[in-house]
Amino acid sequence: MPITESETTPTAYTYSPNETEQAIMGRVRWFVQENFLYMMPDFVLGDDDRLLERGVVDSMGIAELISFVESEFGVVAAESEISEANFGSLRSISQFVASRQSPAVS
Amino acid sequence: MCGIAGIARHSAAGVNIDSLGRMAAAIRHRGPDGYGFYVGHRVGLAHLRLSIIDVEGGAQPLTNEDGQIIITYNGEVYNHPELRRELEDRGHVFRTHTDTEVVVHGYEEWGVDVLHRLNGQFAFAIYDRIRDRVFVARDRFGVRPLFYAQQNGDFFFGSEIKAILATGEVESAMDRRGLHESLTLWGSRPPRTPFSGIASLEPGTYGLWKGGALFLHRYYELDYPEAGEEPADVIEQLDELMLRSVGMRMRADVPVGAYLSGGLDSSITSTLAARSSPQTLRTFSITFDDPRFDESSFQREVADTVGSIHQIASIGPRCVAETFPKVLWHAETPLLRTAPVPMYHLAKLTKESGIKVVLTGEGADELFLGYDLFKEVSVRQFCLRQPQSQARQRLFDRLYPYLAGPGKGGEFWRKFFLEAGQPNDPLFSHLPRFLVSARIKDFYTPEFRKSLGGLDVLSELRSALPTRFFGWSALNRAAYLEMTTLLSTYLLSSQGDRMAMAHGVEGRFPFLDHRLFEFSAALPTSSKLLGLHEKEILRRWAARVLPTRINSRGKQPYRAPDAPSFFAEGMPDWIADELTPEAVRRVGIFSPQAVEGLVRRCRSGAATGFRENQAIVGLLSTQLWHRQFVDAAHRISPLPVSGATALFGDSVPVLS
Repeated sequence: MPITESETTPTAYTYSPNETEQAIMGRVRWFVQENFLYMMPDFVLGDDDRLLERGVVDSMGIAELISFVESEFGVVAAESEISEANFGSLRSISQFVASRQSPAVS
Repeated sequence: MCGIAGIARHSAAGVNIDSLGRMAAAIRHRGPDGYGFYVGHRVGLAHLRLSIIDVEGGAQPLTNEDGQIIITYNGEVYNHPELRRELEDRGHVFRTHTDTEVVVHGYEEWGVDVLHRLNGQFAFAIYDRIRDRVFVARDRFGVRPLFYAQQNGDFFFGSEIKAILATGEVESAMDRRGLHESLTLWGSRPPRTPFSGIASLEPGTYGLWKGGALFLHRYYELDYPEAGEEPADVIEQLDELMLRSVGMRMRADVPVGAYLSGGLDSSITSTLAARSSPQTLRTFSITFDDPRFDESSFQREVADTVGSIHQIASIGPRCVAETFPKVLWHAETPLLRTAPVPMYHLAKLTKESGIKVVLTGEGADELFLGYDLFKEVSVRQFCLRQPQSQARQRLFDRLYPYLAGPGKGGEFWRKFFLEAGQPNDPLFSHLPRFLVSARIKDFYTPEFRKSLGGLDVLSELRSALPTRFFGWSALNRAAYLEMTTLLSTYLLSSQGDRMAMAHGVEGRFPFLDHRLFEFSAALPTSSKLLGLHEKEILRRWAARVLPTRINSRGKQPYRAPDAPSFFAEGMPDWIADELTPEAVRRVGIFSPQAVEGLVRRCRSGAATGFRENQAIVGLLSTQLWHRQFVDAAHRISPLPVSGATALFGDSVPVLS
């Protein structure tokens, strides 16, 4: 059956919060791989692995991540937000960015 | 100050003067004022002279009255006039006015126990023909170097490794473990070196070579018998020690100058030197063209106060990259910092200004707990007692203000210090540093990593600690580790002796007088580090000799730009040459893929952290080191016998 135009045109399509997080995490993972793990190609980094604890980033690395999040996603983290809860792992960064990007939902 | 080298044969094959001549030629820079040889049937000694005491009469090698004790000696024994009087009273007859001859007669009188009587910085070899043995020794803190190799019962030694390699008898090969240790601790721990089969004599030890075997003994131990309270006359004691230490180190038959950085320690040594100098003191410092690191105006201000004629060597943007290969040739070891480069230029300026002896402030930070690392120990201990306390952790912001601030990493970098180790780990104080530098192995090839055979540098260090270490306070443990894993293995060598002697300049270190060390080690640590105020007692005393604005100035960390030094426009070709995948693969230590990523980040200016800065300097220096030392043939023409100022053998003196 031929596909009609109306069926291929997405209407008011939006990412689900989960998909947004996935996309963000992909970018963050790429950044981490490219900048902090380039010397260890066999290193397996889980979504919830603690970046500091596993030695992936040091304090300078965290500063780089913060400025990456700012330039890539337009999310400026306040000093109080630079915490283990928001920047501790790939997942926590992605959740933090997603929460700041999505319009506030009451 | 000088250079020494020698060969002792197990067999009676004899020593070839050409071998001694090549050894001497390899380290000629250490002693441009003359050279000499003793060529015996079994033992040969070479000496390169930088004449400082008894300029006319001090040619070496030197013997005792009957020619049975022969010495080649590098260094200064500052209490030589006192020892000489004592020895003369005991009937010894002196032919020169040198400190060298004091060591010869001292050995005759007291044997190896002469070492306990020497106050100074030295490395020497004595051939004792009566006992048919070679006695080699090194000063207490490792100011002067001595390397050696043993092969088929033959013993080779020299002030620098290149002298040993110049014989052509000792192969130049990498010691993987030594190299890895150098790249982890900033310098390998003696006896290990990055060279296979070549050892470094430990500071405070001596060796007796006899019958083809070397027996090592320790004559000096660092100890910290910390007292509960300061003695009532503590300032008077410190005053006496400081004045005497500097006074003794002004003893020379040539003018003595001083390095003056503008910090507290060199301001003290320069001020005291200026007081006892018969002529206007000459002082020298380095600064960077980069205005962020430029301290020249403060240096000039301090020099005005000291009353010295001051000269400044300025380090331009291309300087580090252009000089690095020469610096590495003199350092003889891979480096993790570029800081030896400015020291090389400082010595060059000093020499060009006609000065060959300088006082420096090295050692004060170790003795009086001046480094931030010591404060870090206190803060980490304090925080770990209540790990949840955010208020306590804010102390890190005070300690490292340049790491704190918006967007810099917030709680993360504080957490880094807190998670770096627990106080019950003997290496507690140094773990933040060691754990970062140990990450160099992430950049290795899997093959090189595997070839290390599970070597754990930190475990080895833990097991090498003396039993008494475990009875010391955390700060004294930290001071000991600083003395043994950084001061002698890096600061006094790669950044000290090797850079100064590259230009024939002798550094003298008033703070490394062993009596001053023993005084400081017995003080309560609170006399040295009070809260976050470093060198408390030194400042209390220095109020007598320095204006308040110099005395109260905080420590300026010595910073030389690292990664950016190699990746600006118009850099010399050697950098690109060493970084090609082929060059990296040929050496086989670093992974080409890791190097590619590292270089990309360095070029883009993204490599700002310690790990990558150390990695790029470690990588470039290892590549160069391999090219200069492992790949090279070490062919060198011997110094001509005709030019020797001393030359003799086992029968009668040939010359001199």
